[in-house]
Amino acid sequence: MGQTLIELKNISKTFPGVKALENIGFSIDSGEIHALIGENGAGKSTLIKILSGVYQPDSGGQIILGGRVVESLTPLEALQSEIAVIYQDFSLFPNLSVMENIALEQSVKNNDNLVDWKAMERISRDALDQLGISLDLNTILGDLSIAKQQLVAIARSLANNARLLILDEPTSSLSKNEVRKLFDIMHSLKNKGMALLFISHKIDELFAISDKFTILRDGKYIGTYGEDELDDEQLISLMVGRKIEYTIYPKNKRTEPLLEVRGFSKKGNFRDINFTLHKGEILGLTGLVGAGRTEVAQAIFGLNPADEGTLLLDGKEIINSTPNDAVKAGFSFVPENRLQEGLVLSKSIEDNISLTMLDALSGKSSLINLKKRKELTRNWMEKMDIRPNIPEMITSKLSGGNQQRVVISKWLATDPKVLIVDEPTNGIDIGAKSGIHQLLRDLAEKGLGIIIISSELPEILAIADRVAVMRRGRIITEFFCENITQEDIMSKAL
Amino acid sequence: MWSRRSMKPELKRRLKSKEAVLFLIFVVIFVFMSILSPTRFLSLYNLQSMAYQLPEFGILALSMMIVIITGGINLSVTYTATLAMIIGGFAMSHMFAGGSSAGLSVLVGIILMLAGSLACGAFNGYVIAYIGVTPMLATLGAMTFFEGISLQVTRGGAISGFPIEFIKIGNTAVLGIPVPMIIFLFVLATVYLFLERSRMGATLYMIGSNPKVTRYSGINVRKNLFITYLIASLLAGIAGILMASRYNSAKESYGSSYLLQAVSAAVLGGTSIAGGEGKVIGTVIAVLIIQVISSGLNIIGLNRYLTNVVMGLILIVVLTINFLTREKQFRNN
Amino acid sequence: MKTKLLKIKELPIILILIVISIIISVANPAFMTLENFLDILKSNLVLAIMSMGMLMVMLTGGIDVSVSSVITAVAVITGYSLMHWSSNLLFTILVAVLSGTVMGLFNGLLIAKLKIPPIVATLGTMSVILGLVLYITNGTWMTGIPEKFIDFGRKKLITFPTGDGKALGIPIQFLFLLVAVLATWFILRKTVIGRGIYAIGGNRDSAERMGFKPDRIIIFVYAFEGFLIGLAAVAHTSIMRQVDPNAFLGFEMQVIAAVVLGGASVLGGYGSILGTLIGVSLFCVINNGLILMHIPTFWQKIVVGLIIIGSISIDMTQKKRTERNKTRVDVE
Repeated sequence: MGQTLIELKNISKTFPGVKALENIGFSIDSGEIHALIGENGAGKSTLIKILSGVYQPDSGGQIILGGRVVESLTPLEALQSEIAVIYQDFSLFPNLSVMENIALEQSVKNNDNLVDWKAMERISRDALDQLGISLDLNTILGDLSIAKQQLVAIARSLANNARLLILDEPTSSLSKNEVRKLFDIMHSLKNKGMALLFISHKIDELFAISDKFTILRDGKYIGTYGEDELDDEQLISLMVGRKIEYTIYPKNKRTEPLLEVRGFSKKGNFRDINFTLHKGEILGLTGLVGAGRTEVAQAIFGLNPADEGTLLLDGKEIINSTPNDAVKAGFSFVPENRLQEGLVLSKSIEDNISLTMLDALSGKSSLINLKKRKELTRNWMEKMDIRPNIPEMITSKLSGGNQQRVVISKWLATDPKVLIVDEPTNGIDIGAKSGIHQLLRDLAEKGLGIIIISSELPEILAIADRVAVMRRGRIITEFFCENITQEDIMSKAL
Repeated sequence: MWSRRSMKPELKRRLKSKEAVLFLIFVVIFVFMSILSPTRFLSLYNLQSMAYQLPEFGILALSMMIVIITGGINLSVTYTATLAMIIGGFAMSHMFAGGSSAGLSVLVGIILMLAGSLACGAFNGYVIAYIGVTPMLATLGAMTFFEGISLQVTRGGAISGFPIEFIKIGNTAVLGIPVPMIIFLFVLATVYLFLERSRMGATLYMIGSNPKVTRYSGINVRKNLFITYLIASLLAGIAGILMASRYNSAKESYGSSYLLQAVSAAVLGGTSIAGGEGKVIGTVIAVLIIQVISSGLNIIGLNRYLTNVVMGLILIVVLTINFLTREKQFRNN
Repeated sequence: MKTKLLKIKELPIILILIVISIIISVANPAFMTLENFLDILKSNLVLAIMSMGMLMVMLTGGIDVSVSSVITAVAVITGYSLMHWSSNLLFTILVAVLSGTVMGLFNGLLIAKLKIPPIVATLGTMSVILGLVLYITNGTWMTGIPEKFIDFGRKKLITFPTGDGKALGIPIQFLFLLVAVLATWFILRKTVIGRGIYAIGGNRDSAERMGFKPDRIIIFVYAFEGFLIGLAAVAHTSIMRQVDPNAFLGFEMQVIAAVVLGGASVLGGYGSILGTLIGVSLFCVINNGLILMHIPTFWQKIVVGLIIIGSISIDMTQKKRTERNKTRVDVE
């Protein structure tokens, strides 16, 4: 390998209530493909944001770039230090040509008035050649496949003289062929002296291409290893090996089926999904990000209906073509992104909780019974311990945990038969997490069927009775959550 | 339930509310206009005249408000009223001229006016809720489309020859209160109950604030939006009835200046242009303010073109004030 | 070569233009004559010039309904300037272009700095400007345009001799259109700010991160639109030889319809000069067709409304289809 390009020392990042990173320290050399590994929530995204200047590390941390010590970076400084990040959304312009997406930034940075098309053509042709890709420079980006768009994004970083290229889950939307092509390019970039930081969950890919592995777990630095120092099993156990801190609830083997999913398929989303959720059972649905778990949940709930397959609720066939159908049938869905999909942030706790119950609250006159609504709100705020105890408070002002409770209340108020929760404790501190775990177990005791989508294996092992593991749109296997380890699950997911 | 001590802060809060401030502005402007020309502004004639004119404007403003709350806008509201009054008026005057009884003609006329407005609403509702065209452009196109159809029917002229019974609607009073005002109060009460007290109203506010979350909560957003445009257009139809009756004729140019004023009234009354917020009482007070300004300027003798300028400036000034207050709040946080 | 032709985005609308032209010529052979085409050109120069400005505005995701009022105001100012200040051509153009730009700037400031939604802002300015104009002119026509200017307006760029002694020619005002198109092309294609217009329409946040300044670009766009309106006003006045403050009522609809027909997306980021010109041509041809087929003029409004709604509906339906068929997971 070449020289050390960038070194991190004592990098920590604290958010209100959550310590996302704790004393991370490692270095990346030029001409090296360095994998950053960890489960969801291990802190990878946070670390990338610090490297690209979006977040500032807590004081005491240092980033050493080419010998220079900095305390923190702004996005501009990061760019000038030649660090480029390829995010999932690419930050590209779908309506501009390939050439412009690669080279326009230069013109803006130079404060040019006129566009020098010849220069842009040269720069972009150059960058693409370095990657060994041939593309029509005039193609509109939006017309290209995701894989090709990603290559354009990489070309852009090259054109901007990036020396460290950070790729965040670059293969999640790519086919096997496209992945191979990407890896060839990564190899050639490495040989040219570039440093690449590669974030991925996919073990086989990691071993295929990386020189070094840095493992994070729960925000902590576990270690950096050469590719010949580890094998799959060791890697997995380093990723997940931890003491399970959650209360493990006794498991029940339920037999009465509540929801049967048969042959659920949707092109480009998932295929042949089959499982049964029993009354009073918590079924975990896990897998890597991009395995299709949320897509399955959304299909069940009518948000993104399946192309084929049947749903049986209490033995009766149900077709949920809209969320409206689903709610009427007794389904409820607490989405992953509570700020954008779960709550109307500009409205009060009361408005949000009663949103699903408007019909029930108004009866025949279709005028809302204000007293009933206040009662409903107060009830749930008490039951769920939502703080502060002010029904009129705008939900944007609540803490993450309380916001989640509002969303859950909204759904529990409908007295559903099936509750689907998608990453319910994401971004919530440890104390609040156990509160939600207890709540879910209590609901299951009362006979509710719960599907919990989670990437947090300890959480699943703690509260779920069974777990189904998804991988690339299929359910690979199911386990009873007794006498299995996180490694068992993870190895199926990868 | 409320102790005496807790009454005072509640009252104080109400007094400081946006609506109270608006009402104060109304009083100030009313007084101002009275001072400028006491004999004419405060005359029975003028007060009556305002009382006859305000209802059609007020109903249009309420119609606009409902749509804006859902996060949309209805640029075709005035031409909906126009088309409705032309279709109904056409049938009514032809029937009457053809020998049908006044009562029947008026009945058919009114039914067609309402049906016509509902048709316009269905058209807009379908294009916006089901095809997904943004409300601004859909209603922009609809506006021209409706105008074109109106012109087709009237050939540029005016439809007249309405039975006296119809004309009475817009020009007589019951127990001293003008009939249009009675209709307006009735519409006002209904819209209030609909928006601020009913289940659908609550849904509309949520849709305007965040349509995605509302859909994820199991609410049929499309159906609600479709019905919104139906209702808004029906209100426009009612306004059309009042206008046709007051002017004793139907022409496609009537009411076109009301578009800007309706938007201004909604925005001035506290309805957020982005959707999700707005109080009926606010819109009503704003309507009062704009009506008083309009009548007052007319009495002073301000050229009617300049009155239009004033109306445009009101909209711009109100939005500017909104922006500045938002900025201040943001900085204070 | 053949595949390149097929790939042109504007192909569908070119085909529609051809088909409709054929239909109209069958209904009335007077359509396919040089005289008719020159006539269409002359009566729609203003529309074409203004469509360039509207294209730029729509590329940023905005809209401007005040264009009809602005051109009326500029025409009035131009008329006044001709009658009272100077009939010098260059001076007149300067006055027109300056007034247009100032009004455009005002719109731009409201939209960019005060964050007023474009529809509402321009609705307001439309009222204010038109009101002032009508007040000042009292709705009456301004006649008395100096002879020198009128003579200029009568000039022809190129003349085609016809058998029966009529002199057909491309009017000199065509130069204004040429300037408008070239200026717009130059800005959009050759300047960084032009690419910035597309960038903001495509992904505003990324554009900002890249270093573009959205506020400045938006103000520029509306100001430039005003500039073009100035050109259009001079052209119009030189053709009509008088100023009628009521001539442009409702005109903004036609400009919007033509631009939307040409494929510009109302959400911003998509639209081309070629497309807009074809859209304008198609729009003019349709209008001309309505006249030649003796269809009453009120149908024009109906057609305009349906064009706006129809074009966007098609756009929306296509977008929804691509969204629904997106692959989210690489299924095993």
